[in-house]
Amino acid sequence: MRRALFALGVVAVAAAILLPGAFGGSSADPGVTARSVTIGGTFPFSGPASSYAPIPVGMKAYFSYVNATKTNGKRGVNGRQIVFKAVDDGYNPAQTVQKTKQLVEQDKVFALVGGLGTEPTESVVAYANQQKVPQIYVSTGATEWGAKHDQQPWTIGWQPDYQSEAAIYGRYIRANLPNAKIGVIYQNDSYGKDYIAGLEGGLGAKKSQIALTQGFEVTDTSVTNQVLALRRAGVDTVMIFGTPTPTIRTYATMAAIGWKPQNIFLNSVSATDTFMGIAVARAGAAEVNGSISTYYTKDPANSRWDNDAGMKLYKSIMAKYAPSNAKVTDSLYVYGMAKAYTFVQALKAAGANPTRDSLMKAVLNMNDKSNPFLLPGVVTRTGPNDFFPISQQQLIRFNNGTWAPFGALTDTRPAGSR
Amino acid sequence: MTEFVQYVVVGLANGGVYATLALALVLIHRATGIVNFAQGEMGMFATFIAWSLINHHGLPYWVAFFVTLLIAFLGGAGIHQAVIRPLERGSALTVVMATIALLIVLNGLAGWIWAPDAKFMQSPFPLKVLHVGGVVMNVQDLGVIGVSLLCVAVVFLFFRFTRLGLQMRAAAVGPATSRLLGIRVPLMLSLGWGLAAMLSAVSGMMAAPFVQLDPNFMLLILTYSFAAAVLGGIDSPVGSVVGAFLIGVGISVLSGYARDFLGGELQLPVALAVLLGVLVLRPAGLFGRVVVRRV
Amino acid sequence: MPRTTTQIALRIAAVVGVALFLYFLPQARTDLLNYDFAFVGIYFIAIVGLNVVSGYSGQISIGHGAFMCFGAYTTAVLSVNYGVGKYWTLPVAGLLTGAFGLLFGLPALRLTGVYLALATFGLAISIPLVAKRFEGLTGGGQGRQLSLLSSPIGGVSTNEWISYFVWAVAGVMFLGAWLLLRSSFGRALRAVRDAPIAAVSSGLNLARYKTLAFGIAAAYAGVAGGLLAIATSFINPDAFPISLSILLLTGAVIGGLGALEGMLFGAFFVQFGPKWAESISKHIHYNEATVQSTVLYGLLLLAVLFLMPEGAAGLLHRARFVLKESRRWLYSRNDSRATA
Repeated sequence: MRRALFALGVVAVAAAILLPGAFGGSSADPGVTARSVTIGGTFPFSGPASSYAPIPVGMKAYFSYVNATKTNGKRGVNGRQIVFKAVDDGYNPAQTVQKTKQLVEQDKVFALVGGLGTEPTESVVAYANQQKVPQIYVSTGATEWGAKHDQQPWTIGWQPDYQSEAAIYGRYIRANLPNAKIGVIYQNDSYGKDYIAGLEGGLGAKKSQIALTQGFEVTDTSVTNQVLALRRAGVDTVMIFGTPTPTIRTYATMAAIGWKPQNIFLNSVSATDTFMGIAVARAGAAEVNGSISTYYTKDPANSRWDNDAGMKLYKSIMAKYAPSNAKVTDSLYVYGMAKAYTFVQALKAAGANPTRDSLMKAVLNMNDKSNPFLLPGVVTRTGPNDFFPISQQQLIRFNNGTWAPFGALTDTRPAGSR
Repeated sequence: MTEFVQYVVVGLANGGVYATLALALVLIHRATGIVNFAQGEMGMFATFIAWSLINHHGLPYWVAFFVTLLIAFLGGAGIHQAVIRPLERGSALTVVMATIALLIVLNGLAGWIWAPDAKFMQSPFPLKVLHVGGVVMNVQDLGVIGVSLLCVAVVFLFFRFTRLGLQMRAAAVGPATSRLLGIRVPLMLSLGWGLAAMLSAVSGMMAAPFVQLDPNFMLLILTYSFAAAVLGGIDSPVGSVVGAFLIGVGISVLSGYARDFLGGELQLPVALAVLLGVLVLRPAGLFGRVVVRRV
Repeated sequence: MPRTTTQIALRIAAVVGVALFLYFLPQARTDLLNYDFAFVGIYFIAIVGLNVVSGYSGQISIGHGAFMCFGAYTTAVLSVNYGVGKYWTLPVAGLLTGAFGLLFGLPALRLTGVYLALATFGLAISIPLVAKRFEGLTGGGQGRQLSLLSSPIGGVSTNEWISYFVWAVAGVMFLGAWLLLRSSFGRALRAVRDAPIAAVSSGLNLARYKTLAFGIAAAYAGVAGGLLAIATSFINPDAFPISLSILLLTGAVIGGLGALEGMLFGAFFVQFGPKWAESISKHIHYNEATVQSTVLYGLLLLAVLFLMPEGAAGLLHRARFVLKESRRWLYSRNDSRATA
C-alpha cells in the first residue's frame, strides 16, 4: 500500500510540476527588435546526413560578414544584427519537430530559414503554416516547395528543383542523342524518384529509351550488382542520380569492371571539381571525362573563378568568419552563403520595420540579379505564379580535371511565368 | 554461374572488412566479457587519423598505415586502463553502457576535430581490372581481402606461437589462475584492447575508400561485424572470420538475385531474419559451444 | 524490506527535489517546457516497459526503439489511413505491438546475452526499413502527417494539453507495471532472472515468462510510440534510428535496472541530457553547432556511470542506507548513554 502511495506521489509530483506556464501574446512580430533579427533553422550536424553541415556554417559566415559590414553607416540590415540559430536535428523528424517548436516558441525566431532535408522539412510544414511563421529557402530540391504553394503559403524552396534538373538531361538527350539506350542508377528514395520522374518528363515521347533503372539504398556500401545489371542490359548512356559518395562509387565500379558507357550524366549535387577529382583518382580520367551535369552556383574549386569578384568575396568571408578547419573548396559552403545572400536581400526588401507578412511579400516578389555566388546571369525571381526562386541552370561537361559550361543557361520556370 | 561467382567475389571483399572488425569484437568479448559497441568508432577515429597523416602531414600511405596502427594500439590500451578497468567491478551492463558512451564521444570528437565537409580516404591499391574466366575482379577488392586475411593470420599466429599471446589468452580465460601464475592480468587485458583497436583500425582503413569518410561510416559495418561475430559464436575467433565472409557473400548474393523482388529496403531485414533463424537452431552460433549454466 | 512513513516521505522528497532541479536547471520556465515534459513521459513509459524485460526478466534488449516504431506506425496508419481518432488508437497500438513482441519473443527467448542483444539490435534496424518498404500503408520514406496537436480544453495550451495527456497515460501505465511486478508474476520474473535453473526446477515455465515479459515490454513501447506520433504529428522511418534504442537503454540503466522509481530519472536524462550538453557547449564554442555537445553528452553519460554504477535507484538506495546507518549510530549512542 505504501508503495502505491509512493507511486501516486510520483504521478502527483509530475502533474504538479506541469502547472500552466506563461504564454504571452505579442503585438509586434517576434524576433525583430531595433537592433536584431533572430532567425533559425534545423540542420543535420550529427547523424546520417552530417556531411551537409557546411551549409549552415556557410550561411552563418555570411551573416557574420553582413553584421560586421557598414552599409549606409549602419551595420547589419537596417542597423539590425542577424542572429542565426542553427540547431541540430540529426536528420530525425521527431527531433526536427521539437527543435522547430523550440525555435518558434522559445527562441521566438522571426523566420525559419534554410531548414535542411526533404522529410525533416516536411515534418514541420503544417506547424509553420499553422503558426504563420515564414519557412523559407528550405535546403531541399523537392518539387513540392514550389508546386504546393496554395496549400502551404508560408513555405518556399530556393534551389532549382530536382525534377526540372532531370528534365534538362531528358531534353538534351532527345535533341542530341536520339538513339541513346538509357540506364539509370538512382538513390531509392523520394530524392532519386524525383529525378526519374523529371527525366521521363524531359524525354516525353522518348521515355521508352530508358532501358533499365536500378535503385540503391543510402546504406548500401556497394553498387556493383546494379552496375553489372546495367551493363548486361546493354545501355550506352548512364544517368547517376545520387549523392556524391554513391556517384563516385559508381564511377569506380564501372572502371573496376572495365566498362565505359558512351555518355554519363550525373546530378548537380555531385558535380563539383572536388568530387570529380576524387572520382578521377578512383576510376581514372578516361572513365570520368565527358560526363555531363548542370550547376547554378560558382564552384570554389574551379580555377575558372579564381579572379571572379564573387568568389574572392566568398574566400575572404570564409577566411574571416568560418571555423579554421573548414575546407573552402567544399561547394556546400558556397551554397549556404548564396542562400544567406538571398535572405539578406529579402530582409532588406521587407522594409525598415519588417514583419512576417512583409518578409513573405518580399520573398514572393523577388527579382534579384546581384547574387555574387551564383553563376552570372542566374536570377533569383519569384512572382504571382512562380514559387521557384532559382530555376536557371547551366549544362556543363567534365574534361581534363574541371567542369566547363556549354550552351546557354536553361530556364525551367513553369511556362507562363517567364 | 559467372554471375554467381561475380557476386561471391564482391561479397568476399566486404567480408574481409567485416572479418577484421568481428575478430576485434571477439577478442574484447573473450577478454572483458562484453560486446564493445565503440569498436567501430575506434576504427573510424583511427581512419580519420590516417587520413590526416596522409593528407595534412604528407606521409606515404603505408607509413601512415603503420603509424595509425601504433596510435590505435596505444588508444585502445589507454581506453581499457582509463575507462573500462575502473568499471569492471560493476555489472557487465555498466561496462556495455560505457562502451556506448565511448561510441558517442568518439563520434562527436571526430566531427569536432575534422570539419564536416566531405573527405575521401585513398586506397593503397591500384585501380586495375583482372578478367578471370568471365569474372571481373579488381585489385582493390583483392587487396582488401588480402590485407584482412593477413591480419587475421598474424593474430592467430601471435596467440598460438608467442609467449605473450599465450599469457594474454590465459589472462582472458582464467584471470584468477593466471594471477597466481604471475601473469599481470590487467596489463594483458590492456594489450588485448590495444590489439582489438589495431584490428578495427585496419577494418576502417580498408572500408573507407569505398565510402565517404564521415564520423558515421563504421556504424553499418559494425552492425554486420557484430552479426558475423555472433553468427560464428561470439567467443570463437575462427567462427567470427568465417561468419564475416558468410555474411559478406550472403548479402551480395541476396542483393544480386532478390533485389527486384525484395526491394532494396528489405535486404537487411531478410539477412537479419535468416541470421535469427540460424541462431534459433544454433543458439551459440556456428562455432560456439553451449555452456551449461550454473544454478 | 520494512519501510516507515518517513522513508517514503524521503523518497518522494528526493524525487520532487530531483524533478524540481531538472525543471529549473536548463532554462527559465516556459510553456514549451510542457512539451519537453510530454517527451519525458513518453520515454518514461517506454523505459518502464524496457525495465520489465531487462531489469526483471534479465534479458537485454538494445532494440526497444523497434517497438516504439511499430506502435507509432499503428497510430499513424489507423488515424491517417482509416480516420480513427488518434487518441483512441493508443490501446490498439499497445495491444498490436504487444502481440508483435510476443511473436518476436517466441524465437528470441531461445537466445541469451549477446545473442539476444544482436536479435533485438537487428530488429531495431529492420522495422523502420520494413515500414519504408510498404509505402501504400506507411507512406514509405516520406512518412505520415497526422493532424496537428490542439488542446480540446479552453485555457489550456496545446503544450500543456499534450503533457497532461501523456502523463495521465504514464500514470496509469506506471501503476499497471507496479501492480504487475509485485504480483506473483513479478516474483516469477525475478526468479527467472536470478536463478533460472532453480526456477525451472520449482516448476516455473521459463519460456512462458520470458516471452510474456517481452510482450509486456513491447506493449509499453507501443503506447509510447503512439504517443510520440501524436506529440510530433509526423513520423517517418528516420524518426526511429538505432540511437533511439540506445538512448532508451541508457535511460533504463541510468535509472537503475530493476527499480521502477529510478526510471523517472532515466526518462529525464533521455530528454534533457542532450539539451544540457548543448547549453553547456554553447558557452564554450562559437556557434550552436552541436558536435561538441555530442562529446559532452557522451562524457556526461560516462560520468553518471562512474558516479552511480547502479543507477539512480542504486544511489537512492545507498543514500537511504547511509541515513539508516547514521541514525542507528545516533540511537545506539543514545542507548549507551541511557544505560550508562
